[in-house]
Amino acid sequence: MSQYQFILRRLLQGILVIWGVVTLVFLLRYMTPGNPVDFVAPLDAGQETRDQVAADLGLDQPVYVQYFDYLFGLIQGDMGYSFIRSQPASSIIFARLPATIELALAATIVAIIFSIPLGVISATRRHEPADYAATSFSLVGISTPNFWLGIMLILLVSVGLGILPTSRRPIGFVPAMEMFIFQLEIQGIRTWIAHMILPAVTLGTYFTAMIVRLTRSGMLDELGKSYVLATRAKGVPETLVRYKHVLRNTMIPIITVLGLQLGTLIGGAVITEFVFNWPGLGTLIINAIDVRDWPIIQGSLIVIGVGFVIINIAVDALYAKLNPKVSYE
Amino acid sequence: MHDEILTIDNLSTKFFTENGTVRAVNDLSLRVGRGDVFGIVGESGSGKSVTARSVMDLVDSPGRITDGSIWYRNEEFTDRVREDHPNAVEDGAVDLLELPESTRHGLRGSAFSMIFQDPASSFNASLTVGEQIAEAVEVQRRAHANPRSTRARTSGSNYSLKNYALSTVFPSKRFVTRASRDRAIELLEMVGIPDPVQRADEYPHEYSGGMLQRAMIAQALAGEPDVLIADEPTTALDVTIQAQVLDLLAELQEETGMTILLITHNLGVVARMCDRVGVMYAGEIVERGTLEDVFDDPVHPYTQGLLGSIPDLEGREGRLHPIAGNVPSLFEHEMEHRCHFADRCPKAMEECLEHPPEFDARGSPHHAARCYLAETTYSEAKALPEGYFSEADDPAMEQTETAATDGGGE
Repeated sequence: MSQYQFILRRLLQGILVIWGVVTLVFLLRYMTPGNPVDFVAPLDAGQETRDQVAADLGLDQPVYVQYFDYLFGLIQGDMGYSFIRSQPASSIIFARLPATIELALAATIVAIIFSIPLGVISATRRHEPADYAATSFSLVGISTPNFWLGIMLILLVSVGLGILPTSRRPIGFVPAMEMFIFQLEIQGIRTWIAHMILPAVTLGTYFTAMIVRLTRSGMLDELGKSYVLATRAKGVPETLVRYKHVLRNTMIPIITVLGLQLGTLIGGAVITEFVFNWPGLGTLIINAIDVRDWPIIQGSLIVIGVGFVIINIAVDALYAKLNPKVSYE
Repeated sequence: MHDEILTIDNLSTKFFTENGTVRAVNDLSLRVGRGDVFGIVGESGSGKSVTARSVMDLVDSPGRITDGSIWYRNEEFTDRVREDHPNAVEDGAVDLLELPESTRHGLRGSAFSMIFQDPASSFNASLTVGEQIAEAVEVQRRAHANPRSTRARTSGSNYSLKNYALSTVFPSKRFVTRASRDRAIELLEMVGIPDPVQRADEYPHEYSGGMLQRAMIAQALAGEPDVLIADEPTTALDVTIQAQVLDLLAELQEETGMTILLITHNLGVVARMCDRVGVMYAGEIVERGTLEDVFDDPVHPYTQGLLGSIPDLEGREGRLHPIAGNVPSLFEHEMEHRCHFADRCPKAMEECLEHPPEFDARGSPHHAARCYLAETTYSEAKALPEGYFSEADDPAMEQTETAATDGGGE
């Protein structure tokens, strides 16, 4: 099977998965207590007004009619209207999406930059102080809860030292870049970076710690294999043995974890986003749950699901590319 | 007698493990003549592989060469080293253990090359075979670009992490060049791989075992080494393929005149390939000599036992003749100062409680054995009583033995 057939097949499978996600998310509404009408209609509204509100929201229809309405709407890119704000859910969600993606990518980049060199040092200087430092760091990193770390960073760095801003960033990446390109104004990018550092570190710490451990154990594993001996024996210098051979082979499983983790970052940054009042999907979902704004909740969950599926396909394709033993099937 | 390309004197390699020090190779001496095929035979865990790795400086932590010298005789190399490391040079040969690590490592692939037991795990599974051979070619090409330098030529800026990072992005910075790739294809052709241009682009898992061992030999020949160390080259292969690979080695040896250090536990392979033989037991060479010396007129009861344990195909007797007992523990604190084979030896005498030196034995001048029987004859009167060593055979033996074998990397 060629690479393209492989990707096409995975895409079709992905569509099935997304359909499953949509169905589940839709049914979720009927399994959750709390009637949206209570939140939308005025507190003192009579039965008549409440019926009217329910009809406006489309809640008076039978469930299957609502389901197919929703499904066909989705296919056309329509996620319904927010119950609370009279705007299309899709425009609200997509306005929040960039902030979440930026945060997830920034956290991943932070993680890669710190974790892989740390893991390599740790593996190649086993039982030396550098190794102990790296393994202790990763143990602490894995066992630190995100929300606590975020609050501590805000207290220490923002409040205590007064260096970085605490929350509510004023500018996104794209406007910041536009500002730089069209007006040659660097201020936007600086503000963007200043607001990004603490959330990215908070979100990336667990991730960094995990990859340090994976890199360390993976490299030790690979270093013990006999091809390393054979490669050294043919005269290949240690730098190349380490990076071209050993690290490269170590990265194959790590890339899978990285990809899966990026998926969870998009959905799982909820707590970090909330701590930093980050204008992303996480805060949007929490606020929407508070007021039972179902179109927003459903739409956000579906967007996260789609993100997961796309990242998974990309990781599979990359994995097959890196590991010649895996063929595209 | 200056035609010994490799002389090992009193080499000791130990592994410092948590359970104690393992003497994998102990006070080992051997001389390998230029162009010879020298066989090292022994059971698993006798220290054959560690000896080979000591020569290549491939002994991994916690192992370390603790004593001895390894003399390598190559005029060009001696001249190069003389200036910077005068005390390493003696009588036209260089003691490798006196050189800094980086200079020693520069010899890998060009002076000594190695092929391993299991070709499938000795290639990097995620690179093509051609790429890996070309890499070996390229390393040697670069090393020889400046033959005057004794510095670690393999650790220069050529090999920095930065350059590696660039090479993954820019094709022009690729480590493996077109020329080295072409040479890799030539090498593959030389070892008899059909369709080498196409096979070069295949991955190790697409090769059969025999083909892969051929490719491994091609890779080892990339730097035109003086000495090829073959560590159990045929053990992982089918019998029919074994013969082909041995023929190939013999052929290449004849063509290039290189020296082969052949490590094996298979006496048939030794008989077929070698001019000289060293028999190893418990980290020592217990008997050495020409093939005829060792096979036709063995002195050491261990050698006799090894030869006696070859199954007799004519089947006059229904039973095999294994050597009774097990390889001894190599833990320093458990080794006694006696002949290490005495507890399994059918001819153990009182003398054997003292560790034997190497005695000259009858036959060619190369024949020597670490056994008192080379000097005296066996007499019942001095024999040790039966069961003399059995008190020492406590259950701890079993445990320590596996540890010692791990150290040997068999």
